[in-house]
Amino acid sequence: MALAQTYKGDALTLEQGWHMPDRGTVGIAFLIVTESALFTIFVVAYLVYIGKSLNGPMPKDVLDLPIVATICLLSSSITVVFAEHALKKGHLGAFKLWWIATIALGLEFLTATGIEWHKLIYKDHLTIRTNLFGTTYYSLVGLHASHVIVGMVFLLLVMGVTFAGFPIQTQFRRVRFLSWYWHFVDAVWVVVFTVVYVVGR
Amino acid sequence: MASIDYPLERPRPKEGEFSFSETLYRWVATVDHKRLGLMYIVTALLFLVIAGLMASVMRLQLAFPNNHVVGPETFNRLFTMHGTTMVFLVGMPFVAGLSNYLVPLMIGARDMAFPRLNAFGYWIFLFGGLLLYFSYIGGGGLSGHGSAPDVGWFAYAPLTSKAFSRGASTDFWILGILVAGIGSVASALNVIVTTICMRCPGMTLTRMPMFVWVMLIDSWLIIIALPPLTAAQVMLLIDRFLGGNFFNTQAGGSAVLWQHFFWIFGHPEVYILIFPAFAILSEVIPIFSRKPLFGRAAMVGAVVAIGFISLGVWAHHMFAVGMTSWSNTFFAASSMLVGIPTGIKIFNWTATMYGGKLRLDTPMLFCCAFLLQFLVAGLTGIMLAVSPFDWQLHDSYFVVGHFHFTLIGGLVFGLFAGMYYWFPKATGKLLCEKLGRWNFWLFVIGFETTFIPMHFLGILGMPRRIYTYAPDRGWDFWNLVSSLGVIAQAAAIALFIWNVIDSIRSGEKAGDDPWDGWTLEWATSSPPPEYNFEKLPVVRSSRPLWDLKHPHDPDWKFEQ
Amino acid sequence: MAHETHHGEAGEHSEQTHIEMPAPTFWPMVFAFGVALLLAGIVTHWAVSATGFVIAVCAAFGWWHDVIPHERHEEQPIEPALRPEPILVETRSVVRLQLGEGGHRRRIPEKIHPYSAGFWGGLAGGTAMAGLACLYGLIAEHSIWYPINLLAAMVIPDLGQASIEQLRAFNGLAFVAAFIGHGVISVLVGVVYAVMLPMFPKYAPFWAGILMPLFWSGLVATTLDIVNPAMNARISWPWFVACQLGFGLVGGFVIARSTSISTMQAWSLAERAFLEAPPRDEK
Ligand SMILES: [Cu+2]
Repeated sequence: MALAQTYKGDALTLEQGWHMPDRGTVGIAFLIVTESALFTIFVVAYLVYIGKSLNGPMPKDVLDLPIVATICLLSSSITVVFAEHALKKGHLGAFKLWWIATIALGLEFLTATGIEWHKLIYKDHLTIRTNLFGTTYYSLVGLHASHVIVGMVFLLLVMGVTFAGFPIQTQFRRVRFLSWYWHFVDAVWVVVFTVVYVVGR
Repeated sequence: MASIDYPLERPRPKEGEFSFSETLYRWVATVDHKRLGLMYIVTALLFLVIAGLMASVMRLQLAFPNNHVVGPETFNRLFTMHGTTMVFLVGMPFVAGLSNYLVPLMIGARDMAFPRLNAFGYWIFLFGGLLLYFSYIGGGGLSGHGSAPDVGWFAYAPLTSKAFSRGASTDFWILGILVAGIGSVASALNVIVTTICMRCPGMTLTRMPMFVWVMLIDSWLIIIALPPLTAAQVMLLIDRFLGGNFFNTQAGGSAVLWQHFFWIFGHPEVYILIFPAFAILSEVIPIFSRKPLFGRAAMVGAVVAIGFISLGVWAHHMFAVGMTSWSNTFFAASSMLVGIPTGIKIFNWTATMYGGKLRLDTPMLFCCAFLLQFLVAGLTGIMLAVSPFDWQLHDSYFVVGHFHFTLIGGLVFGLFAGMYYWFPKATGKLLCEKLGRWNFWLFVIGFETTFIPMHFLGILGMPRRIYTYAPDRGWDFWNLVSSLGVIAQAAAIALFIWNVIDSIRSGEKAGDDPWDGWTLEWATSSPPPEYNFEKLPVVRSSRPLWDLKHPHDPDWKFEQ
Repeated sequence: MAHETHHGEAGEHSEQTHIEMPAPTFWPMVFAFGVALLLAGIVTHWAVSATGFVIAVCAAFGWWHDVIPHERHEEQPIEPALRPEPILVETRSVVRLQLGEGGHRRRIPEKIHPYSAGFWGGLAGGTAMAGLACLYGLIAEHSIWYPINLLAAMVIPDLGQASIEQLRAFNGLAFVAAFIGHGVISVLVGVVYAVMLPMFPKYAPFWAGILMPLFWSGLVATTLDIVNPAMNARISWPWFVACQLGFGLVGGFVIARSTSISTMQAWSLAERAFLEAPPRDEK
């Protein structure tokens, strides 16, 4: 009978324990959703204004493919996974190593962006006010870079407390959330790279 | 229920036993969702009074032709600040406040998922609001132009560019809203995670109260729709401070792009604002009809449908800018499509009342008025969704009448229903029913008198945002009528505030469950203790308290 | 009315004396203040931003200490005075309506034919119809290509001006066009039949086999002038109706033979949407 069944089914679920998803996991997931909405608007603005600049310099004249920076950022997504696994297994030494590698790769990416901007500003005379390309380029790439910087601050914090002797393995959950955020920043870079350096040229 | 065989009067620890600084500490440092919820609602009410006063001054100015109560510049500031305040500092904190207070209680949780983030959300919202109002002092900027923002609540480009908007007032508008927006997103994120992760044993998604469902989808809309506004505002900041060209038509930028970005946020925003009223009605109407909500599953489906369709209708605010006829057709069609789930909701509320044992207490009175007024608002909305019709009445008082019917006749009436309904839960005291009836009837009369004439004025050709008009246009009579209605509305609000103060001081004791409710918040004491529930409840149906009151025929025997 | 009182689960007492609740903290407020100042500095003075930044950083560290290594809690004493009132039990019971009971109508159809039945029914009906049409061609014009060419005239305008000899002769292009067109329309109509058959009140074969072809013929008779003037000029309506009836009877028969599947109307929406729901009993 359906009635008894409902009740029995319920008793079953409750006996087996009532499990709800982890709030940190769900929180990070929806944080990523809302951040994606933010990036979408900047990407749309970039796409809308491709080729609409009234004066130079144009993207095809001044932009070079940032291959090295891209490789660095994408591989930092891999090293952070290795660090996470090491931490899960309790290999603190390996964790530190992979963590430093992640930070180094992230720094390399930021440096490359800095060099590129320096070249664009001083050699090509492209600033945020020069034309629509400058406005949209610096905004979109800058928004992404600011997210990299935020991630970097947290990565450095984790490294700092780890070397200060804090038992980081107790914070495994939070480290994993940080690594998800880092993956998100990487994924956004794939979009930015495609839009700015592939479609936009 | 006739006999009550337990003492209503029980000893309670009193707040008054604490010193002032202790009380202040308990409120300022709190991470308790109930306190934060009340803080949101009280702040929203304060801003409601401020924005209402602004509206009264505008109606006074428009009561007679060629009137000069305020000048054109002041008038621009008034309607800008009125609109901005009502949307961002009244509507949004009401969303956050109601969901903060009620969602954990209704799903049987002890707190929100992220209590500290919750406190952060409230404070940054408050500081954002203060920053916006600081413009009255600091908005002159170095060049000494302007004070409060005067660019309208949707701040169209290129009016907001440095050339046309000198001084710092527009920057205060951008930053105030941006900062307050961070709070709204934080609180919405918290509501989503709380709903997904903190439900008490047995509280499956299908058994979740309708209120929680609506607030879940509402929060979803907030986290999807607010970032576009933030992004557009950041672009505007870049334009104004760094000399960017996003909305600079001289450099090939597009002013229409701002409109697109703003309304991608703006249209979902009106649903974000009306959803709390939907949520309140879905709880109040069943209780005061003594019938379970009609078509629960369809109600959930409708609210989810709105949560998605409303993301694709924004350009119906832009029919007059000259889009392609394909865009016009698409957005007209999608706007009418939203009418379907909304119609389902109106139908189901009415069907819940049909054949029910109606109790016409004040909360239910407000719900009944909501149903009629929101129906009218929906019908004028469908009219405006027809793009040729919109070309005739775009930016006229017809539009003003339409959206005040949704936001006052809909949202504010719903909020009043909610406040009369849950006030006993939050304070332990009942609001005075006699004053409540006066409040209701004055508000209905004032509301209709003010806003029905606006439709006529729009059809007679009166544009919105004008600060005065010549006497020979045929607008005099209806403007005067419209302004007279303000008196009754102001009296109603004053009466409500008096009712709240008086009831807290010397109101009738409410008991834990004054309305014979069915959801979990009525299963704990009024006001609830910090921990909400001593032992987490176990739920078997969508009306857990009904099950406890009717052990012989509980809902779980019949629900699938 | 008789009442008993009891403590529902929601009001149950627990053995504990304290409950862990998150501890109050100033830091979120201070952090919010810092962030607000940081942004307010953009429009006022850089010193405001600098102050805001310092405040935000301090507050961030304060907040950090609130949650790491463990989220700070305070023990909230359970206040017996704050226990909810006992719940009143109502002994009066409530009658519930059941689906299909006294005046409550079930939604029809309760069972439907699968789409595949419509597909095969359409093909079978289409074959029968084509056979009848070719029979007509043989009898009336001594050529099975005649009706095929006429059908193809809908998409090949040249055929509209063709002489009767050309219409009798085989035309490859016309054959392919007519074949594809006839096949697609047959399958689509078959699927529509499969969906509609269970909705007819009674005598479904009668509706599908006789009445629907007649309606369809009427529809074609009013519009053929526009879609295919060539065919309109030469058509033999008795034969046309006969072809339609052939389709309806054969197609309807094939569809009716299929095993019908029950709709999910008895399921709750949650089950239909595959949301979480208690297990159902399979009958
Ligand atoms: Cu809209």
